[in-house]
Amino acid sequence: MNKRMKPTGMQKALIRRETISAYLFLLPALIFFVGFVIVPMVMCLVTSFFNYSMTEFAFVGFSNYVEMFQDEIFIRALLNTILIVVVAVPVVTVFSLWVSSVIYKMNGAVCSFFRCIFYLPVVTGTVAVTVVWKWMFNRYTGLFNYVLGETGIIDSDISWLGDERTAIWCIILILLTTSVGQPVVLYVSALGNVDESLIEAAQVDGATSRQVFWKIKWPQIMPTTLYILVITTINSFQCYALIQLLTSGGPNHSTETIMYYIYYQAFRLYRYGYGNAMGVILAIIIAVFSAIQFKVAGRKND
Amino acid sequence: MKNWKKWMSLLLCAGMMTGLSACGGDGGSENTAEGNDSGGSEGTEITLWTYPIGSWGDSATVDGIVAAFNEQYPDISVSVEFLDYTSGDDQVTAAIEAGTAPDIIMEGPERLVTTWGAAGRMVDLSDLWDEGTISDISAVSEAVVNACRSSDGAYYEYPLCMNAHCMAINYEVFEEAGALQYIDEETRTWTTEDFGNALQALKDAGVETTGIVYCGGQGGDQGTRALARNLYSAEFTNADHTEWTMNSEAGIRGLQQLVDWEQAGLLSHDAGLQAADELQLFANGTVAMSFAWNASNESNYAEQIDFTAYAMTFPSDDGVPELDGGIYGFGIFDNGDEAKIDAAKQFIQFVCDDETQGPQSVIASGFFPVRSSFGNVYEGSDQEERMTVFNSMMPYLGDYYNVTPGWADQRTAWWNMLQNIFNGNDVTESVNAYVETSSAATQAASGN
Repeated sequence: MNKRMKPTGMQKALIRRETISAYLFLLPALIFFVGFVIVPMVMCLVTSFFNYSMTEFAFVGFSNYVEMFQDEIFIRALLNTILIVVVAVPVVTVFSLWVSSVIYKMNGAVCSFFRCIFYLPVVTGTVAVTVVWKWMFNRYTGLFNYVLGETGIIDSDISWLGDERTAIWCIILILLTTSVGQPVVLYVSALGNVDESLIEAAQVDGATSRQVFWKIKWPQIMPTTLYILVITTINSFQCYALIQLLTSGGPNHSTETIMYYIYYQAFRLYRYGYGNAMGVILAIIIAVFSAIQFKVAGRKND
Repeated sequence: MKNWKKWMSLLLCAGMMTGLSACGGDGGSENTAEGNDSGGSEGTEITLWTYPIGSWGDSATVDGIVAAFNEQYPDISVSVEFLDYTSGDDQVTAAIEAGTAPDIIMEGPERLVTTWGAAGRMVDLSDLWDEGTISDISAVSEAVVNACRSSDGAYYEYPLCMNAHCMAINYEVFEEAGALQYIDEETRTWTTEDFGNALQALKDAGVETTGIVYCGGQGGDQGTRALARNLYSAEFTNADHTEWTMNSEAGIRGLQQLVDWEQAGLLSHDAGLQAADELQLFANGTVAMSFAWNASNESNYAEQIDFTAYAMTFPSDDGVPELDGGIYGFGIFDNGDEAKIDAAKQFIQFVCDDETQGPQSVIASGFFPVRSSFGNVYEGSDQEERMTVFNSMMPYLGDYYNVTPGWADQRTAWWNMLQNIFNGNDVTESVNAYVETSSAATQAASGN
């Protein structure tokens, strides 16, 4: 019979004091979060209903949203973005899981070496990485055309970033190299934390390597997988810097992404309201994708 | 123990709040070059943002100019921030919306007049434009005066310098290919027919890449515009700068000619390159000509080039080219502080009008003065011979159509149109679509 005891006056005062202290500790972060995340989000939502530019600020209801879905370039950007997500997220997840499965068993120094290799593009910075890739893709002096030409695979030089058929795949390739670093580090850590006694017990019971992976390791690294899926999805949806630095959305809008188009509308054409409306739609799409991932992967995680 | 915890909590909270306050503090002094602040407590502080126009992007040069200004105006302190053409516009846009725009900005009329001036963000500088100034500048080019004046009659820019964008050829490659016969070395002009013959001669001599019509973005798009419109003397806009006119017969013919040359293997196009990439390929000898040349680029790439980069005008059917110009000067953002506006005007007048400083300011830009009274600012200097070549092209300066409303949209539509026609789409349809997009932007920007 657990009967909850009523707190005395002294206990109430102590609880109140601790609660106040806790809120005081939270306050700076809360101010920061509200000021730099919540308020801009609300402003973005509100101004998406306005014809908001450098010279105008007039309420237009859902006009920006209606225009958006009649805007062929926005539709193209949406499809390109979805293509990037659909290709990049599974490839990044599977590739990083495969690499991690191989290297996490290696001795400390070798494992650290590989982690550094895969993490290098992340810490190098997008601009530096992009400059190198731009040189490799260069039609006239680039590495790809040189190697493929010398080996007789291609007859004439290809403008990798200037051809509609290849540009988006070049962007995805660069995105993959800059995206696998964090998942590899996370997976190596997660696999290293899998309970060895469970693996040994399964092996004693005659489980194969495949069974050990899927029945023992996979369920235990599921929270990490869920995190990687969500983060990679968000990063892929927000692909902007590569486009800005390499293609400006071309050729013929074949690499236009929603993030780049938002930037273009807001900062080049000064159509802040229209850009914000696209930002709202992008946020909704990301939320839906993330919710689906939580639902599917989270259920297995339970 | 209890008290200790309480005091620690308060201390931590105070520390974090202080940290946050520091984050929100005025970070304006970071990455700025402070002028010689000899002003007292009553002095005025103004900010200057410059794009990299020659040495106006170099802190040592600009600090020297600010120091010279402070010798005459010790009560005015000038903070300088250097912008680049990749992110500069974004920084200015963000600053305008945040209410932290600089007092003075240095660039061209397409930004100062057509964009920020038309949006009501700039100060009318009509009081600086007295009759003497107007006649002095008009004596060089009436177009400069018109470009700095908005359609409402207000002057949003006070110009310092100007240049003519041209092209360049690799002289030795042309010589080896026997293509020098197609250029007029005295006037640095050639006809469209000559240009076609030169391309053929280069190809016959085994030159792999003669020239590249770059269309990977808006960087250096004045080169492709000048190339396309000069071939058959097309006008880019009408005289009033209210309509885009490259869908004229001459405009379409010029663009079709480029496509024909590309299909014949005489010329290349690349939707993955912008002017900076093309210039680099020219500098390392990969391509035999550049369509993005000017005095400043010649200076910038001088150390990398081991051949003669021979500046030329763009080819035209009648041999009389019409070059695109660049006008650079100062504007003042209306931040509502009359004292700062007055101080900014004093700075601008010192930099542009002062008998000693004015020519030095022009030399720092690497271009030419907009005032006839300055004469040849490079006379007697080690740059005189080099600049004489570019000065000889100034009479070919054409209409400054960059002030047409909707300019930013047009630029994007232009390189997308080039990508379309080189991808095999019908030239007429593509140009009409480009004009339609640009005209819609012009109407929207004009409030029609």
